[in-house]
Amino acid sequence: MKNVTRGFLSAAIGVVMAGAAGLAQAADTIKIAIVGPITGPVAQYGDMQMAGAKMAVEQINAKGGVNGMKLEAITMDDVCEPKQAVAVANKVVNDGIKFVVGHLCSGSTQPASKIYEDEGILMITPAATNPAITEQGYKMVFRTIGLDSQQGPAAGDYIVAEAKPKLMAIIHDKQQYGQGVAEEVKKTVEKAGIKVALFEGVNKGQTDFSALITKLKKQGVDFVYYGGYHPELGLILRQAREQGFEAKFMGPEGVGNKDISAIAGPASEGLLVTLPADFSQDPANAELVKAFKAKNQDPTGPFVMPAYAAVQIIADTIAKTKSTDPKVLAKTIRESTYQTPIGKVAFQDNGDLKEFQFVVFTWHADATKTPAK
Amino acid sequence: MADFFPQFLQQIINGLTLGSIYALIAIGYTMVYGIIGMINFAHGEIYMIGAYVGMVMITALGLFGLHTIPLVLLLTLTVSILVTSAYGWTVERVAYRPLRGSPRLVPLISAIGMSIFLQNYVQLGQGARDVSMQPLIAGGWRFGAEGGFQVYLSYMQVLIAVVTVVFMTGLTLFIGRSRLGRACRACAEDRAMANLLGIDTDRVISLTFVLGAALAAVAGVLVGLYYGLVNPFIGFVAGLKAFTAAVLGGIGSIPGAMLGGVVLGLTESFTSAYLSTEYKDVVAFSLLVLVLLFRPTGLLGKPDVEKV
Repeated sequence: MKNVTRGFLSAAIGVVMAGAAGLAQAADTIKIAIVGPITGPVAQYGDMQMAGAKMAVEQINAKGGVNGMKLEAITMDDVCEPKQAVAVANKVVNDGIKFVVGHLCSGSTQPASKIYEDEGILMITPAATNPAITEQGYKMVFRTIGLDSQQGPAAGDYIVAEAKPKLMAIIHDKQQYGQGVAEEVKKTVEKAGIKVALFEGVNKGQTDFSALITKLKKQGVDFVYYGGYHPELGLILRQAREQGFEAKFMGPEGVGNKDISAIAGPASEGLLVTLPADFSQDPANAELVKAFKAKNQDPTGPFVMPAYAAVQIIADTIAKTKSTDPKVLAKTIRESTYQTPIGKVAFQDNGDLKEFQFVVFTWHADATKTPAK
Repeated sequence: MADFFPQFLQQIINGLTLGSIYALIAIGYTMVYGIIGMINFAHGEIYMIGAYVGMVMITALGLFGLHTIPLVLLLTLTVSILVTSAYGWTVERVAYRPLRGSPRLVPLISAIGMSIFLQNYVQLGQGARDVSMQPLIAGGWRFGAEGGFQVYLSYMQVLIAVVTVVFMTGLTLFIGRSRLGRACRACAEDRAMANLLGIDTDRVISLTFVLGAALAAVAGVLVGLYYGLVNPFIGFVAGLKAFTAAVLGGIGSIPGAMLGGVVLGLTESFTSAYLSTEYKDVVAFSLLVLVLLFRPTGLLGKPDVEKV
């Protein structure tokens, strides 16, 4: 009974609040929830996503919005935790928001995507790369980034063709994203006959890796691939350098941000990272890059432009269909092509991009990167 | 197999470093349990605050142009111990003292609440992001033949060992020789009786929290220096591990906490080395279960008399 009363109460409050909100702001804004980690250990990636998506919202609004309606960005924090992601997704549903740009981590995107699918909310993730997310046969789920099943082989091919290690090790953080990409790398290099001496998981949030490093050093490993995010890899690099373990390290785009250099310092020099191509170098994006620089934001982060593209795709499709029904939009998105900062974009039936390229970069101690040859 | 011994030695060094940190934190759990028979779940967060204060101090001293390492270390340790002890004292005053005499479960819940509060408090004050710092003390010694496996002992690892030993000895002497230490031991044996004999037990309990927090601050500063990465969430895992160490060694016993920490550190290190990193926690906790099966009071715990 208690729950019923509470339900009535909150419904009543909800009606009153909704009424007030309706008066305060004209009903013709299109709300887009931008969901990612605003706090927590990987909040740096959330920054990239927020910067890209907000820039898109701003620029579209500056041009008069969509069909005379302004876009409204509502940022939400899922801390990259699956549990929190579900709570945020429910909030999106309760707030009556129809469009989501996010989530960011694969582990939190997966449970949230089910809610969006069930509730008919359009979701475009600019960052979650685990293949399983689009293998669920969902109709409302898209992404403007590549897959681990592309990124893993891209890294693997580079290892086989360029790095040519004698003995390599693969470490991952046992998370959906990290382990997923690590397994793809393993498959690719083993096919080419490279011996993987060690395939092991570490704990997210672990700080001491000295025992693991001693073991790698003992086995004579000369190349290490790490599937995961930067806080752990940063510490691994730093402790490896301290112990005098001089293998080459490589990681996916989850390690490629400034903080890896802040943590690992000089030990981050020469780290190999697979990242989406640096879209800020594309001459077609020169104007946009300038706009980011004017706001003192870094346009080179891997998720900035994909997030921009995600918002733009939603806006373009609303303009094209003259509808804000997510189901109509989802259908149209599958049939259309878009010109976005990440290039010409078209989607497959499962919601993945038809084409997306990962490029190998060499990371430097001053947190810059150059394409690896 | 010629390389076996140096590798083994390296793993011992790795394990001892880790174990020292666990031991420093474990003392706080064990002392509080010894005297008032409760688990202070906010202790992990106290350690985290120690690490933050250390980090802030080192950065601030660097900004003021102070680069003499021993002086920086001394100042950082002092300030961190003072600030963190103040937190330890306040936590006891605010969250536990008003509940003294209530059923055991009540202060336990209060402790969990305090832990969540402190975590969020630091998150709001310092931001929820990782704070990182470049090593203050870099370098170390290498032993062994060129080309073969070289054992590496960093200055930082030596510092951790030395600082830990110094503080542990200090604590043991304090508890064993000083008047206040004797009061502590008396309280641990029988609080009501000690009170009747004129010992201000509330003061002794406060002192216990302050001492525990001071050692946690030392651990926090050392971790900040050694790993160079601090965030508001480090207290949880570290607290859990240290608590395990305290139980393993026999909760309530100070030498037990030291031994438990070292055993836990070595176990983790060797499991990572000779089995798999994935199993390190599994093995560590299995060891705990095993020890408790055969010695329910832990390695050095005494069945009836609870020591400080």
